Amino acid sequence: MKHKILLVDDDVDLINLYQPILQNAGFEVEVAFNAEEGIQKFSQFKPEAMLVDLAMEHFDSGFVLCKKIKSLPEGKNIPVVIMTAAAHETGIRFSTQTEEEKNWIKADDYLDKPISARDLLQYVTEKLFKNR
Amino acid sequence: MRIDKAKILVVDDEMGMREGIKRLLEIENHQVDTAETGAQGISLGTAFEYDLYLLDLKIGDCDGTEVLRQIKARYPEAICVIVTAYASIDTAVETTRLGAYHYIAKPFSPEELYHLVGRALERRWYILEARRLREEQERRLMEVAHEKSRIRTIINTIDDGIVVVNQEKQIVLWNPRFVKLLEIDRKINVGDLVFDILPENLHEQFNQMFAGQTELKAIKQEVVIHAPAKLVIMVNTTPIINTSGEMLGVVSVLRDISELKQLDLLKSQFINMAAHELKAPLSAIKGYVELLIDRTLGETLESYKQQLDRSRERIDALVSLINDLLNISRMEAGTIRRDIEPIDLSNLLTHTVEFFHTDMDKRSLTLDSSIEPNLVMDADREEIQRVFTNLISNAIKYNKENGKITVNAQRDNGYIRVQIADTGIGLKPEEKEHLFEEFFRAKNPLTRNITGTGLGLTILKKIVDSYAGRIEVESEFESGSTFTVILPTNQIN
Repeated sequence: MKHKILLVDDDVDLINLYQPILQNAGFEVEVAFNAEEGIQKFSQFKPEAMLVDLAMEHFDSGFVLCKKIKSLPEGKNIPVVIMTAAAHETGIRFSTQTEEEKNWIKADDYLDKPISARDLLQYVTEKLFKNR
Repeated sequence: MRIDKAKILVVDDEMGMREGIKRLLEIENHQVDTAETGAQGISLGTAFEYDLYLLDLKIGDCDGTEVLRQIKARYPEAICVIVTAYASIDTAVETTRLGAYHYIAKPFSPEELYHLVGRALERRWYILEARRLREEQERRLMEVAHEKSRIRTIINTIDDGIVVVNQEKQIVLWNPRFVKLLEIDRKINVGDLVFDILPENLHEQFNQMFAGQTELKAIKQEVVIHAPAKLVIMVNTTPIINTSGEMLGVVSVLRDISELKQLDLLKSQFINMAAHELKAPLSAIKGYVELLIDRTLGETLESYKQQLDRSRERIDALVSLINDLLNISRMEAGTIRRDIEPIDLSNLLTHTVEFFHTDMDKRSLTLDSSIEPNLVMDADREEIQRVFTNLISNAIKYNKENGKITVNAQRDNGYIRVQIADTGIGLKPEEKEHLFEEFFRAKNPLTRNITGTGLGLTILKKIVDSYAGRIEVESEFESGSTFTVILPTNQIN
């Protein structure tokens, strides 16, 4: 059984990059281009993990999506990883070090963009799905 | 010093004496007038100020002192010498009280006369010189007063704020602009301490100046004034130094550079956005290339087809973007070369529409065009072509499958009105508002796969504006947009 990942990003190029590389590594990958589509695909596809871009149609679309997923009974325990360039674009730092921070941000981890395909694959295989 | 060629009046009823004196003085190059009666003497002597008057005390018709009195009344500084017989010496002495310069007793030798006339003319010279100096001084004072008011007027008219502060840090001069710029609401008096008047963020400059930390050089500083409106002021403070190198005070010139700062900010924002727009496709291409280098998706090129196709798309987009950027920069610098010629817009539109036929067919779009013939305007063909190519291409790109495009062109009151309407995805009101802004692109699921630089409409608007034309947009979200371009025609209806 292949592991299922939902990729949410409005950048077609990142989707074009991440989707094939994850598929090639043996994952089943579904994509969504915005938060609304993300929530839809979540219900249909039932992923085991989600990679979500922060700034899509709004700068905080990713957070909104996280919050919605985490509030669903079936989404509560699905790891959601936020991908954002906010750290170097705005200087805002995110932290998901403590449970409190995780709970507040409603995300389980975050990745600093830009993320190369290689780094993403490594993160997904060695961290996200390490114990699965 | 004395007067060499003097004008002298001799008043004497004795012809021998009169003519004798005249002859003697003429030898010395003086110009001599004579009068034989007191009345004549008064008349001549008060009509013109002679350098010297030689007056006989005993004239037949009147008293010589009367002649003297009248002349002195008219010309208080006139030099009068009394010519008198020994018998009336006392009277002669008396005349000096009336203002006579001196007297000479008859008979006298030519030397005696020359000596006295010489001295009298020397005196006259001093009087004239003093008078000249006095007049010059008065004229100068007038000039200074005039100059002062002129400088005052100039200072008051200058559009920069000016304030002059003396060594005691007291304000000694300022202009209305200074008061206005800093919104100083209290009345300023000469002698007010500068620190009581200036906002705090301007104190530092003056402190430095007076502390001599600047080695008496000018300080330039941008200062932001917040209340009541935000202003950026360039303050240029310079010491006023006298010829011995002492500092007498400082003068500050305040200029409102808010508008320049705003432009500067817009430029920075533009560069920032442009950099962003350039970086995004490059990062994508880099990602695709890395994929290929790492052979991540397999050994054959076919495995990378999607990524390579997409790379080429992104490279094409980058080239378009760079061209657009260059175009905008050229337009703004005004270095764009234009070949203005009469253009048959009807023809141009018809051809442009035809050119896009295949693209329209691909998306199953129907075309409804109604173009009035002979719509002519003076313009650069390439620019006008660009406007309509861009609009029709947008009408195709942002349309829906099986949609419709309507192209209308007709004369309208000395203008040419071209309307290009689509039945596409349309614009939300907030998108419409930003449509002509640089790098604005409507971002929603419907536009995801539509490429563009975000500069097309910006450039298009610049072109239309430059022909004194106008571009308008009507749009309803998800049902279509209509772009109307109004351009002046060079043909009179």
